[in-house]
Amino acid sequence: MVQAVFTGFFGLAAIWFAVVVFRTSSMVRSALALLFSQAAIGGMFLAMQTEFLGVLQIMMMATEMAIMAIFMVMYMMDPGGLGGMDMTHQKRASQVAGALGALAALAVAFFAGWGPIAPEVRPAEQVYGLGIEIMERSMLIFETAGVTILTAMIAATAIAIKRRGKE
Amino acid sequence: MITLIVALVVGAILFGIGLYGALSQTNLVMIMMGVEVILGGAMVNLVAFWRFLHPEVYSGQMFVLIVMTVMALEMAVGFGVATGRFRAKGSVEMEEAQDLKG
Repeated sequence: MVQAVFTGFFGLAAIWFAVVVFRTSSMVRSALALLFSQAAIGGMFLAMQTEFLGVLQIMMMATEMAIMAIFMVMYMMDPGGLGGMDMTHQKRASQVAGALGALAALAVAFFAGWGPIAPEVRPAEQVYGLGIEIMERSMLIFETAGVTILTAMIAATAIAIKRRGKE
Repeated sequence: MITLIVALVVGAILFGIGLYGALSQTNLVMIMMGVEVILGGAMVNLVAFWRFLHPEVYSGQMFVLIVMTVMALEMAVGFGVATGRFRAKGSVEMEEAQDLKG
């Protein structure tokens, strides 16, 4: 019961901050709201006894959103939101699509047969089990992820770099 | 069972909010934020499935690690594209990106 309460609390926080992301006019507030939303998701992981992923999520998102805030201030036309610009389009269709997507996912959550609930796993066993998974069965996937990150880094730099003779 | 349902409901609502954000925003950076929220909802579901249905199979946690990688890659490539676009046109507004059509 305590687990459900904490999961629900962090879940509500994640939903509230996710809503704030698209409601506030200030881009810095928007980035901070996304940071808190993702940190609350990390809190949910911790409440669901997934310690390693919870800590990883909070650490990763803290740095990722700090970088995102800088880019948002750089590239937005009205980063402070003082001009009162409307930065949305096809609002009605988006609301309908969002509501339908959420309803479909909720229907699956409530009506699918999930089977018996598994007993809890101790944190030490989890870290050991994940380590064995990464180093044995999923090693190829993990290595592929590493190579993909390297490729994306090179591609992102190549796209963003200033071309000679263009300016 | 209650915690599983709570987590799935939160995941579903986050998915809906993210979908709305990704479709309604005109700025590239805000669209990426919508995608981040969608992926956040997916991760909540994956962790809940792992913890409450199959904690003995660690591919669930592995899947979450891959989704986190995808989030970071999406940000890196997205910002690369944003920087290129900003250099070329001085804006990352998607309504002004009609010239990208073939």
